[in-house]
Amino acid sequence: MRIDRTHRAWATATIIALVFASIVYIAYAVRSPGGPRGGTALGLTFGIAGYALMLYAGLLGARKKVPVWRIGRAQTWMRGHLWLGLLSFPLILFHGGFAFRGPLTAVLMILFFIVIVSGVAGAAFQHYLPRIMLSEVPMETIYEEIPHVREQLRDEADELVMAGVEAEYDDKVMLREMYQEKIRPFLETPDKPGAEPPAEIFDSLRVVIPAAFHPVLDDLENICEEERQLNRQIRLYRWLHAWLLIHVPSSIALLVLGGVHAVMALRY
Amino acid sequence: MPGRSRTTKKLAQRIDLNYFKRLYAIPSWRRRLSFGLVLVGLLWLGWEALSGKQRPYNAGPVSHAHALLTRNCTACHVAQAVFGRKVTDQACLTCHDAPAHQTAQTFTPVCMDCHVEHQGSPRLASTRDASCTQCHRDLKTDGKPAGYVTAIASFDGQHPEFAPLRPGHTDPGTVRLNHQVHLKKDLRGPNGTLVQVKCADCHPREQADIVPVNFEKHCLSCHPLQFDKRFVESVPHKKPDVEREFMTAKFTEYIGAHPEEVRTADPGDPRTMRPPLPPARNAAEWIARRIDDSERLLWRKTCKECHTLNFGPGSSLPEIPKAAIPAVWMPHAEFGHRAHQMVNCAECHAGATKSQETSDILLPGIQTCRTCHRSGADFADARCSECHLYHDWSKEKKIEGKFTLLGF
Repeated sequence: MRIDRTHRAWATATIIALVFASIVYIAYAVRSPGGPRGGTALGLTFGIAGYALMLYAGLLGARKKVPVWRIGRAQTWMRGHLWLGLLSFPLILFHGGFAFRGPLTAVLMILFFIVIVSGVAGAAFQHYLPRIMLSEVPMETIYEEIPHVREQLRDEADELVMAGVEAEYDDKVMLREMYQEKIRPFLETPDKPGAEPPAEIFDSLRVVIPAAFHPVLDDLENICEEERQLNRQIRLYRWLHAWLLIHVPSSIALLVLGGVHAVMALRY
Repeated sequence: MPGRSRTTKKLAQRIDLNYFKRLYAIPSWRRRLSFGLVLVGLLWLGWEALSGKQRPYNAGPVSHAHALLTRNCTACHVAQAVFGRKVTDQACLTCHDAPAHQTAQTFTPVCMDCHVEHQGSPRLASTRDASCTQCHRDLKTDGKPAGYVTAIASFDGQHPEFAPLRPGHTDPGTVRLNHQVHLKKDLRGPNGTLVQVKCADCHPREQADIVPVNFEKHCLSCHPLQFDKRFVESVPHKKPDVEREFMTAKFTEYIGAHPEEVRTADPGDPRTMRPPLPPARNAAEWIARRIDDSERLLWRKTCKECHTLNFGPGSSLPEIPKAAIPAVWMPHAEFGHRAHQMVNCAECHAGATKSQETSDILLPGIQTCRTCHRSGADFADARCSECHLYHDWSKEKKIEGKFTLLGF
């Protein structure tokens, strides 16, 4: 999701809420005889508000599982996830008075820190990488379809080379040898380092191979380019989604253990 | 680069219609890691619960004094609430008495308001200023006069000058002492040697703090109370009647051992300007003359150096007012010289080297303390609890211990 001017209202509301919460916290921290603590009325209020925002942010996952639910637009949920999730962090810091000395609270704060950092990094990736993808991968396909598409590219290239073209026998042999040696390995294992044929190979082949084969060479070059772009897409996709391997598990653990903390803290 | 020629069929074949049925690497690992991380967390909590430990839920390390209660939460968390167990004052009062602060106070906080546990604080008595200023910022009493400044916000902000240094306060001491003279070079010291008196010679520190000046310990060696050349010892530093009794006993003992002196001519006493007299008629007259000489010396010179002597009508013995040197100048605060021993005395008691009058109060003012004690990480602590006690420990009651050694 791009963070553009459509986020302005969310950002403004978040900043206003943060400023208000900060003012309340400072007044409370200065005047509170025992110092700010999670167990006081205001400390609990900060904790409940922070955890509620965390739960809301966590519900984005559920919302994505059932996209047909008519409970607000996905974009609105995403913006809320981003900004309210971010707001929950200072609220939880206010809740604990910037201290997390107990084992469980320390674990929770470490998880929370990881969630926030990975989330911010993810938001940055989601902001910049789609534009890069758009300009550098015009042949983009559905990520999960890539292995299937690659199979077809291989078949298509094989067919092109084997198809009958009016030419001398030697020229046909030369083309097939060149294909087997330089291009087929790349189509077989496109993500293997060093497998990609150099771009200038097609220009040099056009010099030595008769013009009848040039349309075949053009198509092969096009297939290689598509493979290159699919490689690039895979790399960008990993950047776009790998952060979720940290963000999502940490978030779920945070919500579950945070619930345990809430119950046990109220008990004592 | 020209595009390849592709049929509609070929393009349609590019789409694998079942792709969404398979879980690919990133979503798959996301699911596994989510499950695994939650499982690890719950296993940890479950393991601690099965071991009977509540450690994960500990809100933080308890203070040093309560360290032995770390594994016994219910020692403090005693009160059964609707959900769980809470700490009340009763739990604290099991082991500690907490005498009231003031009889006129309008508000009494609960123990935990000021003594916050689970913060790893080494000393629970080191409370935050807000504990005090919640009342003293705008002090209200239950109708009785406050007796104190009613608006105190912090030590380095709104705190009055120390009471002895405020206008109208004087040193109640009656002993004449000139600090400037005592700090001069080459004073005649014990046995006639020349000395340079140092602060600690008269104000030594014993154990925790400086002890009050004591004549026998700190003055006598330079200021002997010699009363007659026949004796090297001094009269006791007591009331005049005790001194007279002491001298009478000494002279009686002496004349018993030297009866021939009764009949010798009395040469007079240059110290008291007494002229010569004929020999005494008997031992009693000789003793009376010696006591008269000694008392003239003591009352007119030796004692008068420091004390004001009042002779009542018809009384031969003077009245000496009590020294009245305050042992504690600030009764509502605590101060330890030991903690400040690295600082030269004159840095805080700057007036001592020039003071000539007893009435000079040589306590450092609040600004001197604020040189080091002020808010900020780079300064010495300036919290109220550094100097003041909340509980009136003079009213402390004895606690009957209830715990057993193995009970912890």
